Amino acid sequence: MRIRIKKPGLLSTIQDAGRIKFLAQAVPISGALDQLLSGIANKLLGNADNDAVIEFTYGGILFTTETDCLIALVGLGAFFKANEIKIPLNRPVFIPKGTQVFIENNTQGSHSYLAVAGGWNVPEVLGSKSTFLTASFGGFEGRQLQENDVPSSNEQLSLTSQIILAQLQGEKINYTMWSVPPKQFLTNTANTIRVILGREFEWFDESAIADFLTKPYQLTANCNRMGYHLDGPVLNRKNSHQQELLSTAVAPGIIQVTGSGALILLMADCQTTGGYPRIAKVAEVDMPLCAQLKPGDLLNFEPISMEQAEILYLNQEKDLRKLNHAIQFKFNII
Amino acid sequence: MAHNHTKFLIYPISEKAVSIEFGQKIEAEIMKRISNLNRLILENPFIGLDCTVPAYTTLTLFYNPVKVISDKNLSGKFCFDKVSNYLSQMAQTNDNSIEKPKDIINIPVCYDEQFGLDLDELSILHQVPKEKIIKLHSSAIYTVFMIGFVPGFAYLGGMPELLASPRKLTPRKFIPAGSVGIAGQQTGIYPLETPGGWQIIGKTPLTLFDVNREQPSLLKAGDSVKFNPISLANFQSYHEDKD
Repeated sequence: MRIRIKKPGLLSTIQDAGRIKFLAQAVPISGALDQLLSGIANKLLGNADNDAVIEFTYGGILFTTETDCLIALVGLGAFFKANEIKIPLNRPVFIPKGTQVFIENNTQGSHSYLAVAGGWNVPEVLGSKSTFLTASFGGFEGRQLQENDVPSSNEQLSLTSQIILAQLQGEKINYTMWSVPPKQFLTNTANTIRVILGREFEWFDESAIADFLTKPYQLTANCNRMGYHLDGPVLNRKNSHQQELLSTAVAPGIIQVTGSGALILLMADCQTTGGYPRIAKVAEVDMPLCAQLKPGDLLNFEPISMEQAEILYLNQEKDLRKLNHAIQFKFNII
Repeated sequence: MAHNHTKFLIYPISEKAVSIEFGQKIEAEIMKRISNLNRLILENPFIGLDCTVPAYTTLTLFYNPVKVISDKNLSGKFCFDKVSNYLSQMAQTNDNSIEKPKDIINIPVCYDEQFGLDLDELSILHQVPKEKIIKLHSSAIYTVFMIGFVPGFAYLGGMPELLASPRKLTPRKFIPAGSVGIAGQQTGIYPLETPGGWQIIGKTPLTLFDVNREQPSLLKAGDSVKFNPISLANFQSYHEDKD
């Protein structure tokens, strides 16, 4: 299966579940910003969870199918049109060769994910297919997708993928009546982002802590795959904690406070180490909400315990594993 | 939540990572402890350990919670308990008396003025001739404190005091790959062309980071490093060999 990119949109990259083995050499984790949506896109087609997907930023994307394709587009606001017919999201879709596909976006989200049966075929670099733009490796030739690129899928399909294809393929566009809305896996829908308190939380003075936990912050236009700069109350440190922090490991989701008291939320391509105090970390289960924020969006932070965060995460993983069975059940595979 | 011990503190930084911290100062003894503990852990990993990240005073373990939660060999109710208990046990087993002999990694550096963009400035700042700066920089044996910032960027400690220099007031938008810089009491090499605020004194023809190598980063935490001055002609011949 093969598509030709006609309009790549703002930033389209190939991503997977991430590159976790080389952090000690300062190779970031990368991977899809919204692991929930990219994971669902793969599951809808019977792919492995770490198969490569295309991450789109906003809309304005146009591609044509150069072969028959079995694909899934998962997004919160995005929708796609094939030969001017609107196709619903969040389900397996068969699209015949020679179809023009537009991906548009409404106001609900910022990143959507396109999976193909078998996964997009790009070489593994350091154990992952994710694109890391800063060092120009991984994904599609280490760069964002451009006009006339022709990403293709792996030819080897899982048994589930083969059965889904056999049931949907034909002369015309075809898709299932059922869908998997990603929101059912979120335990939070408001822009109240749950956080675990960070190691340096106590470095901040009382009014800073009160501001952080009660006042809204706004995503600025200074946001990319490495990090989101947030606008809001400046957080001052206690007089007793003005020292420099020696650089230490950081991870996506950590909220750093810069020397001037501004917040940076670290995202998938963040550095592996950092020297700014870590006031908090966004709960893993709420990272998909952050990945869909747009500049201007407001968010609040609410503290939860490490135990709660871990239980929420493990439960979400359990629900997602059940989804594999549910999809196989839909296609009478089990 | 945090495991306290007289010598260390253990705390989670994420649902997927736990750090162990040995104080808050750069010390040779701490670096050695972290390096030994890192080796011990990599030789005795638990199921679900993804990788470790050594830094100045911390070692961080990244893990897969789905695997860790079902690992019966680790005691504790939650993943971070399980990993913390493991880490605490490993830290107490860690025998810091073991001294692993280390080879010194030699890195050729051309300190020619076309690469040493800030040599003149540093010469004025420290009121010593450029030759002295080069001699001091290339005579010390450095230790890789950690790899951070961008893939393969090594923070090297052990620089002669006299060379300690503040970062540039305005960072450069582009620093060529291979550039050798100084910031505060550390020196380092830029593996990729990136923005940066370090004072640039030379350039190495070596490739610091290459995804096609088994160990992509030329340097890793704990390595010993020495810089060998080379001439411009010698520098250029490295590139000819490569082409």
